[in-house]
Amino acid sequence: MKRIVQFTVNGESVEVAVTPNRTLIQVLREDLGLTGTKHGCGLGDCGACTVIMDGVPVNSCLVLAVQARGREIVTIEGLTGNGKLHPLQTAFIDKGAIQCGFCTPGMILSAKALLDENPQPTETEIRTAISGNLCRCTGYQKIVEAITAAAEAMSGKGVS
Amino acid sequence: MLLPGFEYHEPSTLEEALKLLHELGGNARVLAGGTDLLVKMKQKIEKPKHVISVARIPGLNEIVPRNGHAIMVGAGATAAALSRHELVRDRFIPLALAAGRLGAPMIRNRATIGGNLVNARPAADLPPACMVLDASLKLKSASGERDVSVNEFFRGPGETVIEPNELLVSIHVETPPPWSGGSYIKLGARKTLEISMVNVATKLTLQSADGPIVDAKIALGAVAPTPVRAHASEELLKGAMPSQELFQQAGEVGVGMCSPITDHRGTLEYRCMMIEVLIKRSLGLALERAKAWKP
Repeated sequence: MKRIVQFTVNGESVEVAVTPNRTLIQVLREDLGLTGTKHGCGLGDCGACTVIMDGVPVNSCLVLAVQARGREIVTIEGLTGNGKLHPLQTAFIDKGAIQCGFCTPGMILSAKALLDENPQPTETEIRTAISGNLCRCTGYQKIVEAITAAAEAMSGKGVS
Repeated sequence: MLLPGFEYHEPSTLEEALKLLHELGGNARVLAGGTDLLVKMKQKIEKPKHVISVARIPGLNEIVPRNGHAIMVGAGATAAALSRHELVRDRFIPLALAAGRLGAPMIRNRATIGGNLVNARPAADLPPACMVLDASLKLKSASGERDVSVNEFFRGPGETVIEPNELLVSIHVETPPPWSGGSYIKLGARKTLEISMVNVATKLTLQSADGPIVDAKIALGAVAPTPVRAHASEELLKGAMPSQELFQQAGEVGVGMCSPITDHRGTLEYRCMMIEVLIKRSLGLALERAKAWKP
């Protein structure tokens, strides 16, 4: 039986009718058209489906849509404001931290959750924060550099 | 990957949840963080008719200090919350360390201590930590409640003493005495998103900073069908002055308490060697922390 579930996505309240066995990622991608969130392993191992729920990153493939009732969700689409990229997005482009791009939304959201809580993280803290996001192209180094650069830019120290 | 269909229940009180468990019992599975249950359902290992979410029950995720003598951890407390909680990090070190090594950051934000215990995987991170801290588990049902020591809780891979109509609601741990220290070491092929090849939790209590060992607890995971205590190693340590030679002996004795298997994560022989090394190493870390104990 379908249930009506209300939650907030990128600042906007949404209401969807879902069967209990549908996951948050299915509703985001299929019902709301937010295909920036990627579906990878579906088992919580790869981090491609990372979204921020009530301020913390979660695997949206392991959250039922009904469990998201009343929660605040941020997806990669929620990072751009007024057509301007988020400093993390800019830094990923500038540093060449993207190749195929499949892990990028999850990487950026894990990084955003980190910087929101800890604006000047150490390299170890950055590596820990993205340790649940697998990348099969770049080898992580440029991703770590991009997050470091974004942290500097956001705290006003960077030159970008 | 798609989930099979099920009926979903979302009780908003503990009483309501217990009533549902009483009525549905074996046809229902409890959903907390979902990091184990939803995976098993996607893989069609589990196909429950009913799923009861306990995430909206107020207070189930609380971590409450009890006048400095103990701590009450709600079964719904997440691994992330445990790994960051100041008091847990300060006085219940093995638990904070193990919680910080569970899965990956996103998993830790959802996975709960109750789920990690009830799933009873032999390689799980939190059971050995709870065992060295002598945690007591509160199980409630519609008709009553009981307290079970975590050391009596596990029966086999995925099997515990919990009845289908019971819910694990909280975990109670006494604060270790002065001059106590602990550690948790997880061995795997990588640091994150790993299932232990061997894991070891230890707790040591000294008489004073330079005194003999008055109490020792060692628990291991991924070395037997359930997490196990190395009782013989503990007996060897009690009353003795701590030394590297003694810890080495404790490691050697500890191997005899385990019955590891060969699987894709490691061979029986390698596991046995690592049990010895990791017991010694984790006792060394626990000793350092016990010596540095502060009121």
